[in-house]
Amino acid sequence: MKKVLLLSLVVFALFVTVAPLIAQDEMTKEQWQEQMKSLKEKQTALQADLTKLNGEIDGMKTQSTKLDADVLACEDALYALLGVTRADVEAFDKELTQMENRVAELQRMSDAELVNYKDELAKLDARIKEMAASKISLIPRYGDRVKALQDKITGLLNSIQKEKTYTVGTWGRDRDCLWNIAKKKDIYANAWMWPKIWQGNRDMIKDPDVIKPKWVLKIPDGKELSKEEKSAANRYYRQKVAAAPAEPKPVEEKKP
Amino acid sequence: MKKIINITLAVFILAGSLMLASCSSTPSEEEMMQLKNLKQQVADLEKQIAEKKSEKAALEKQIAEKNGRLQQCQSDQEAVKKGLGQ
Repeated sequence: MKKVLLLSLVVFALFVTVAPLIAQDEMTKEQWQEQMKSLKEKQTALQADLTKLNGEIDGMKTQSTKLDADVLACEDALYALLGVTRADVEAFDKELTQMENRVAELQRMSDAELVNYKDELAKLDARIKEMAASKISLIPRYGDRVKALQDKITGLLNSIQKEKTYTVGTWGRDRDCLWNIAKKKDIYANAWMWPKIWQGNRDMIKDPDVIKPKWVLKIPDGKELSKEEKSAANRYYRQKVAAAPAEPKPVEEKKP
Repeated sequence: MKKIINITLAVFILAGSLMLASCSSTPSEEEMMQLKNLKQQVADLEKQIAEKKSEKAALEKQIAEKNGRLQQCQSDQEAVKKGLGQ
């Protein structure tokens, strides 16, 4: 009998311990009601928010459409003042943008490279001057861009037109002669270009074999000798040959 | 001894009945489905609101830009009139 009593107590204890654990996973009716109530309240509030947002968005769309029309009308009035069409302004804008991009490319070049684009720069300069004179440039946003581009083009033109010079040193210290000067890396890096310095400084250099210390020589631009410079060099070489005494063994050519 | 056993059994029966009574109050399957549907509706609404809020922000930005463009145009008109000497 005692065994029966003990077994009953164990079963009861187990039931009391396990039953609440099983019940925890399941929702009670009260919990369901609470969740339903809370969710319905949230749904109502969200529905109201959505309705309000939809109203605001509709109003903003109307405002946006009206603004489009206002901007269009304002721009048309502006172009009418200038006596130009929207197409004219768009073409002007397109050309200006292309020129800005090209000038930006040219600005990335070194002065030595830029010399090869002298003609293009001159054309850009002429065109930007025309554009500056155009009525469209009276519109500040275009006027400002045209002015800025004009400054950049002028800067580029100045940098290639800036005259490069070289101050002659002494033979004893610098070994300066036209040949050696032309050979310098920052001059032409090519000794055979010496006639270019000679011809560019005819007012000072009467004899290419004679240059004096402290003379400031102009260094003309260019990668090749011009026809005149080549002729001058040939004349010089012929005179040297003619002046040389007739000797059986060859004479070393004197550097100019 | 028999008395003790009877009392113990009575206590078991009473406790068991109480527990069963408290555990039996759970929502039906249909009610659980209602709850699930309601949760889904709320989630859908929240998603719609988030989308509308982002649409509203984009429109606000557009309107600000257009207002700026209109003001710029009006100021350009003034400058052009000045430039033309009107």
